[in-house]
This record gives sequence, C-alpha cells and structure tokens, in this order.
Amino acid sequence: MTLNQAKEILEAKVITGLDNLETEVKIGCASDLMSDVLIFNKPESLLLTGLTNPQVVRTAEMADIKAICFVRGKTLDEKTIELAKDKNIILLMTHLPMFESCGRLYKKGLVGLGYLDINKKNG
Amino acid sequence: MIELKKIVKELNLKVITGSSNLDKEISGGYASDLMSDVIANSKKDNIWITLQTHQNIVAVAILKELGGIIIVNGRKLEEETLKKAKKENIPIMVTDIPTFEIVGRLYRLGITGMM
Amino acid sequence: MAEDKKFTKIQELTYELKIKDVMTKKVVTVHPKKPISELREILYKKGISGTPVVSKGELVGLISIEDFIKCLAQGEMNALIEEKMAKKVETLYADEPVVHAVRKFDQYGFGRFPVIKRNNKKLVGIITKGDIIKGLLKKLEIDYHEEEIHRYRASHIFEDIIADNTTLTFQYNVVGKDFDKAGESASGLKRTLYRLGIQPNIVRRASIATYEAEMNIVVFTDGGKLTASVQPHQIKIDASDSGPGIPDVKQAMRPGFSTAPEWIRELGFGAGMGLLNIKNCTDKMTLDSKVGKGTHLEAVLYLN
Repeated sequence: MTLNQAKEILEAKVITGLDNLETEVKIGCASDLMSDVLIFNKPESLLLTGLTNPQVVRTAEMADIKAICFVRGKTLDEKTIELAKDKNIILLMTHLPMFESCGRLYKKGLVGLGYLDINKKNG
Repeated sequence: MIELKKIVKELNLKVITGSSNLDKEISGGYASDLMSDVIANSKKDNIWITLQTHQNIVAVAILKELGGIIIVNGRKLEEETLKKAKKENIPIMVTDIPTFEIVGRLYRLGITGMM
Repeated sequence: MAEDKKFTKIQELTYELKIKDVMTKKVVTVHPKKPISELREILYKKGISGTPVVSKGELVGLISIEDFIKCLAQGEMNALIEEKMAKKVETLYADEPVVHAVRKFDQYGFGRFPVIKRNNKKLVGIITKGDIIKGLLKKLEIDYHEEEIHRYRASHIFEDIIADNTTLTFQYNVVGKDFDKAGESASGLKRTLYRLGIQPNIVRRASIATYEAEMNIVVFTDGGKLTASVQPHQIKIDASDSGPGIPDVKQAMRPGFSTAPEWIRELGFGAGMGLLNIKNCTDKMTLDSKVGKGTHLEAVLYLN
C-alpha cells in the first residue's frame, strides 16, 4: 500500500512529506507506547498513534519508520513537525479514531504482525 | 451487534477474568494505550484494545462501563490488576497479536470504531 | 571533463525520471460548456498562458491565451470554450520517461503538454519546461546529497588506522527531565554509526538501545552520560547517571514493571518495557545500580 492510498482511506491530511507519498508501507503498527513500537521494530511500517509529542518522531527515527499517522485529529506541536522535516519522516493526520483507522486500512489490505514475542531477541 | 463470547471464540482469545460475563453485546471498539484518551472518548459497551496492564485499566473499564478489555502483545497482567478485575467481574482477554492486527480482525467481524 | 560527466548525468536522469515525478499535479482546468469570458480570470490572474479543457475528468481540448485574445478582438466573449478550443491535443503519458517530454518540446515548440493516464485518458497533470528543469535539479540535489554523505562516510577508518587496538569513543551528555531534548544523543549516535559504515540493522538495534537508555536517564534522573565505544568487532554502549538508583534490578527487568509517574505514561513512555528492550536489542547487557548513588548500564553489540 502506498501512503497516498493510506491517506485516501483514512481521509487524512498530509503534514510533512507531500513529495514522498508514493512511499510503500507493508505493515501497520498501532501503539501509544513508544517502547512497544521499538520492540515491534519493522522498518517498512506505518505507525498509527494518538500521541503527538516529538518523541514519537524520535522513535520513528530510531526504528527506521518512514511514516506516522496521528489519529483522532489534534493540533500538532511545532517541534514535532520541525523534527519530522529534519529527519525526513512523513506525517499524516486523520480525524478517525485509532480503532476505525486500523480497521479501514486492514480491510484494504494493510496487514499487521501476526504475533509479537516481547522476549525475543531483536535483530 | 455481536456478543463478546462470539468475539472470544472467533479470535481465539484467552479469557483471564470475567468469564461469566461474556453474554453482553459489544457496541463498538476503542483502541488506545492512554488512560486519559479512553476516559474521554470510549463509549459504553465498547471493547477496549490496549497493551496497558496497570490496575488503572479496571477502574477505567468500570467508570466507562466498557464491555471488555483485550490486552495485546502477550502482555502479562499485573497482580493487582488481576485481583481487581476478578472482584469486579470485568472480562479481560489476552492475545499475542499486536493492536493493528487484532483491530483489523475485529473490524472484519463487523465491529467499527466511529465516535 | 567534469562538464561532460554532468551532461551525461542529466541525460541519464531524463531516462530515469518519469513525467509524473516532475509534472505539476495541481492543474487549473476549465469546462467545455463555459463561456470564453470566464477565461479572463483564470488566464490573467493565475498568470498562465493556456489551460486544459476537461469534462468528467477526461481531457477534451486545450485553450490558450491566443484563443482568448482572438475572441476578444472579434467580440465573441459569449462563445463556448468548446467552440474555440484546440481539439486535437498533443499529450504525454504520466509513466513515460522525461526524455520523451524533452523531445516533444523540441518538436512542437509548445509551452506545455497535458499529462494523461495511459489506460483511461484522465488528466493527471501538466508539464512545462520549467517543471523538467525543477525536477532535474531536485533529483541532482538528492543525488549530490547522497554522494556527500558517502564521501564523508568514515567506513574505511579502521582500515586506515594502524594500531594493535583501536577504539573510537563518542560521548553524549544527557540532560535530565528535559523531555524535548530527549533522544538527541541517540540520534547523534545513530548518524555517526551510519557514517562509520556499520550495517543498518545493527545501527538500528544500537540506536533503539541507546534511545531507551537515554529515556531512562531523562525520566528518572537529573542527567547523565552516554558513551559509545566502537571497535572493529563490537559496539559498547555505556549509560551512567548519579540518580536515585534502582532498588531491585531483577524486578526492574520484568516486562511491564515500572515506577514511572502517570504523566510519563501519557507521553508514551514508562510502561516497563525499556530495559527489556535494551536487553533484546543487544548481545550482552549488564545493569549495576546502588540506591542513592546511581545506575550504570552497559550493553554490547557484536559486529558481524
């Protein structure tokens, strides 16, 4: 699925990375806890989160996640946007809640991880 | 509308507490790991998907009259959470599957998440 | 010589880039059933000299400022656009290489070509010579940037240094309780490790471990130090602080165990997975802590 498609499905706004919407995402990751995103550690994922602080972008940077979609439409911290621009991370914003966002993307073919073992070696 | 026990069966969830309280109908889904968000936005009889295991989740479920809680990523419940949920007969289910995938499967069963 | 090389590079790019990569996607269009007079607004105010005529998403013609002026001279402002437009329009497909557009501009001497989809003739954009130049410059800039990074990559450093033992040390100061700055050290280290040419998945694991360690220092202490020691065979990460210390290290390692306050949890941290995550991302981890003295974490990743 391209981010352009994801954007359409989620009725989302593009905040940064307008030129990179052809980027492909292979897997969905939904979380409001950043450590779990880091455990998830799948580079080609689209991160959906209800958090909007700059650490979300940091987390994406560390885990090589290229795109984040903020759910439940809210105002973004200027620092978050600046950091995303600096780190070349694509930001989307949807008015839909997390549950609905995941459901719609899943229905259109974006899959999630079938199993997550928190005790497994990361690599 | 779908009964909680049907969800448990279809998605192969492990019921940890509240197994005698699975007859209720689920009104929709709410996925969040932020207590303040769930308190503000979840609806009565929603099924709540989270990876939080802190005892506060039981308090939030009671407060918002949620239908049940699904704990994802194979997280283990804290002792206090378990005790409280048992006492209040709140259905808590666990799965190894992460949020995105489990929500997708719930959505396929017809549970939506519009506010 | 250098100029020759650049020339070939640009030629190469005109084959590599597709028209859809450089075209303007937001196109001002007009409907065929509208009167000519409506063009005044569009052509003058937007400063464009011609616009595609579109009906139901499909391109049906092209109308230019010359057509408009002709109608103005002959007092035909109420004529419909479809009567005055050029119906036979030269177009380009979105998936054609830019070089086709270059040739077409040479051949026809037009200022612009509408771009349509190959399968359904839907208008998807418009391309001018300016778009091509902009697109090429942008691509050159990206390539140049990548070349720059490559040039500065210090991946050969270990081969260049002659010593029995080489260790590169990178040290970062972490400010406690400053949630906005948190992660800057891990970010700096990540970039540095890339420059050293270390494998991306190892860089990622090292960055995640460092970031978690940094978060712990930020959340629980008044500050500390992060040190990465890179040797040809391993990366060692040290995180030390003189904060409150951990009373029960074994308990702290348990997934989900956390003493973080609620506000930290609401920011997405402190759910008791950090230390476990560090352990899982690295090949060896040790944690020493004394209550009232501080905490020292050491984690090692083997290269290759």
